[in-house]
Amino acid sequence: MQSLPAIPDVLKLKRGTGSPRRFQDNLTIVLFLLPAVLIFFVFVVYPIFQSMYYSLFNWKGLGPAVDFVGLENFKKILTDKPFLTAVRNGLSLIGFALILQLPLSLLLAVLVGRKLPGRVFFRTIFFMPYVFSEVISALVWLFLYNPDPERGFLNAILVLFPGGHAQLWLADTKLVVPAIFIALTWKYFGFHMLLFMTGLQNIPEEIEEAGRIDGANSFQNFFYITLPLLSGTIRTAVYLSILGSIQQFIMVWIMTKGGPVNASETLATYMYRFGFIRFQLGYGSAVAIYMFVICLIFSLIYQGLTRQPDHLSGL
Amino acid sequence: MSRKIYTILSLLLVAAFALSACGAKATQAPAQPAATEAPAQPAATEAPAQPAATEAMKPVTITWWHISTQDDQKAFLQSKADEYMSMHPNVTIEITVLENEAFKSKLATVMQSGEPPDIFHSWGGGVLNEYAKAGLLRNVNPELDADGGAWRNTFGAGALGVYAYQGTNYGVPNDMGAVGFWYNKELFAKAGIENTPTTWTELLDAVKKLKAANITPIAIGEGDKWPGHFWWGYLSTRICGGAVFGAATSGTGSFTEPCFVEAGAKLQELNALTPFQDGFLSAVYNDEGAAMGNGKAAMELMGQWAPVVEKDNSEDKNGIGDKLAWFPFPMVEGGAGGPADAYGGGGGFALGKNAPDEAVDFVKFLSSVDSQIAMAKLGMVLPVVKGAEAGLTDPFLLTVQKAAAAAPFFQLYLDQALPPAVGSVVNDNVQGILAGTVTPEQAAQAINDSAVQEMK
Amino acid sequence: MNRESVSRPRWNFRKIAPRLVQYLVLGIVTIMVLVPIMILVFGALKTRGQYISHPYSIPLPPRWDNMTKILAQPAFWRMLRNSLFVMLASTIGVVFVCSLAAFVFSRMEFRAKGVVFNFFTLGLMFPINIAILPVYLVLRQLHLVDTLWGVIIIQIAFQLSGNIFILRGFFTAIPMELQDAAYIDGCTAFGFFWRILLPLARPALSAVAALTMIVSWNDFLVPLVVLNKDKLWTLPLGTMQFQGQYGSDLALISAFITLSAIPTIIFYLFAERQIVAGLTAGAVKG
Repeated sequence: MQSLPAIPDVLKLKRGTGSPRRFQDNLTIVLFLLPAVLIFFVFVVYPIFQSMYYSLFNWKGLGPAVDFVGLENFKKILTDKPFLTAVRNGLSLIGFALILQLPLSLLLAVLVGRKLPGRVFFRTIFFMPYVFSEVISALVWLFLYNPDPERGFLNAILVLFPGGHAQLWLADTKLVVPAIFIALTWKYFGFHMLLFMTGLQNIPEEIEEAGRIDGANSFQNFFYITLPLLSGTIRTAVYLSILGSIQQFIMVWIMTKGGPVNASETLATYMYRFGFIRFQLGYGSAVAIYMFVICLIFSLIYQGLTRQPDHLSGL
Repeated sequence: MSRKIYTILSLLLVAAFALSACGAKATQAPAQPAATEAPAQPAATEAPAQPAATEAMKPVTITWWHISTQDDQKAFLQSKADEYMSMHPNVTIEITVLENEAFKSKLATVMQSGEPPDIFHSWGGGVLNEYAKAGLLRNVNPELDADGGAWRNTFGAGALGVYAYQGTNYGVPNDMGAVGFWYNKELFAKAGIENTPTTWTELLDAVKKLKAANITPIAIGEGDKWPGHFWWGYLSTRICGGAVFGAATSGTGSFTEPCFVEAGAKLQELNALTPFQDGFLSAVYNDEGAAMGNGKAAMELMGQWAPVVEKDNSEDKNGIGDKLAWFPFPMVEGGAGGPADAYGGGGGFALGKNAPDEAVDFVKFLSSVDSQIAMAKLGMVLPVVKGAEAGLTDPFLLTVQKAAAAAPFFQLYLDQALPPAVGSVVNDNVQGILAGTVTPEQAAQAINDSAVQEMK
Repeated sequence: MNRESVSRPRWNFRKIAPRLVQYLVLGIVTIMVLVPIMILVFGALKTRGQYISHPYSIPLPPRWDNMTKILAQPAFWRMLRNSLFVMLASTIGVVFVCSLAAFVFSRMEFRAKGVVFNFFTLGLMFPINIAILPVYLVLRQLHLVDTLWGVIIIQIAFQLSGNIFILRGFFTAIPMELQDAAYIDGCTAFGFFWRILLPLARPALSAVAALTMIVSWNDFLVPLVVLNKDKLWTLPLGTMQFQGQYGSDLALISAFITLSAIPTIIFYLFAERQIVAGLTAGAVKG
């Protein structure tokens, strides 16, 4: 952004050298953008529109789509209980993430601080789960959650305590979503912590120093100085964790396949079930469209709230 | 100078993208890509130019997907392929071994893209019919009927019919049996159960006795859903009887008949006794096998492959040995079904639309009496070829085989007999009943709704 | 200064106490992060029997039976090779395509620039998990199902938006004077890009490359949907198959998972700086 004022000069300079130069620049623009635009259009934009078309059919994917049903799929989805469960679970995951995961990450980022000896060590350890594949993370937690204390570590710990009972974790329709959330937190808190650490680093130390000299204690300092200065980073973290919660798929699919009885269904597992297990591709496409719309609405709300026309710039 | 480089590079760039796009399409243009592709080198060999093959020994590649993941079975099938390849040097058989759950979704995916493997595992029924309707399978009637039906006559007629749609066979059976109770004699004795249950009430009593003796009565891997559907399916077979059940599955009747609701109610009644192991709703079938194989549960309702899976998943790889025994699904008081009616099925070989003649010949080779005897000896199949029962040494497997072969009414697994979408609705709703979130009425209604829509 | 030196003992105590609490909390979190990993690794170094009798104990001495058993399987190495191939091709593609586009967005002027750029930001709102079914249908039409190229092109397509963002940020930060000077010297836009900008942006490019490598290596959904033939499977896909097949032999599965995680860990320890730089640039700077 800081380079904006310079651009008019360059343009002037370029124009001065005559039209062949301008033609060349235009060619550069076209050729340089071509691969990105082409790939993006064919594999990101076009599929969305094609899905809108298929969502109007009852189509099993074998042969062409001919059974036109209009908006029937969209109506059916809204009355399907598992879909509503998926929406609810998405909201729960968002809630958990905002109330527990982000504050925890922020706390840890503050604790690790600027110059704590061993800072790099903690950062490396905390961030490690993030680089593991979701398959590995999900399997590790699947083992930990095994209901048999002789096979599942969490229950093995639980039964050690007097009065502790082995829990069913992933087999319990009430516990399954929190259990998945714990696994997700294990995997992702390091990433958010990293964001906060970087954000904290960008706050000039002198400002906090000045606050201290003015007689603010650490808590006041944190709430009145650090936190407001960190608001940009917090917004980014909120945005990313909401988007992540809405589209959660792999960890859930591997640990529970959305079960038991759809209790841990997310929008993505719901779509996958219809698209790739039952091969009701028309219906699945309609689910995909709903997900696009949900994400779009959310992004628009987010942009409206933060009054940022382009949601990542200036964060 | 830099301008030249720039032009050349840009052109290369554009060309590269144009070419890569064309290249991908071009590979699909040849009519029979499945047979000629050698996928070991994914990038380079996608488009093998192979227009002029030698006439005499045309090299043929057969792709074969099976689900026998147990080491000895896998090795046996590989050895059969090797044997065949050594007899026919021009034939290459490429085997893909997939685990059951992965197999189902992967197969559905390739079917969608219209490129089925040449030979693949199948349970026949409505799932296979769906593919047949879409023209994705190869008719094997000519081979079955050649030489006055020599090959056809080696099979029992019932089993062969499972792989036929409107009189045309698209595959052949390899294995056929009935679902039933595999139980641990020692644990039954410990709970003081003297005779195996012959009625539903006796079964419930047995469960209560086992519970009282602090033994997990029943193991089930309901996270995979299909193990639970055996219960509802068998209860429906017993309560509805062949006529009503057959009408419902063929689309002339309805799944909202009171007997289907009653089947759900009976399952609820059983579930109220909490007969299953802890966490059964998220357990997978391997967990069920492990619970039985390690002697931690008294019984499971499962097909003929249960002993093998139990062994494979047990701690010492031996299962519970001769403590394992079998009894058929008990009668339900007042039900319309006969005591010998059976619910079951088994695996077979289906042929994809691009399958070369050699593929059919290989399947014929696999379903020879010798091959079937060898498979039966491994506990891999309950043979369907006449004369291969000789391979069955286990008395219980022999019973199961006879139970299926002699059944007056034989119902194929519902999740295979019905179109795939209906099958998964059955599985989902049975899981719902077992989790207490779906009532028997809702389950029957949901299954019926889906069946009406899919079979219209 | 003066005040501090006077009250040193008190200050010291007040300084040490929070420090201790700090380390205590961080220590607990460290343990919670590491325990799942330790249990996995412990399990991998036991035999099946040991795992069943002592599932959580430290394997002393470690048994390498399961590890060697897996390493002896050609399938493992084939998956490793496939994963490597997909990762490299995706990374080269992403770095190449994104740096070209980012260059235009950061250094060139044209009328519809804002519109085109916003068009790319749409991609940030539609992650692959949401788009997978629509994308799969398109892949099918293009006959890219069951090819590694299908996986690669989708990975590139869904990495474009974020990485164009990151690179644009980096490119913009390179002083404009350099560009002016280059133009005065008769450099074309491409000449500037190729000979001045790219070498200067090397740290940024390696950050983008490191991030893409991780995402591609760990990707499960795209290979799951696109690849059917076992010969083409990547490691995460093979891990799931292995888990389904040997479901109850947790020691063997632990060994497989551990082995498949080792490349990630090595890569992480070597490229941590780049990964961190890439992530924070993407999310904080934009």
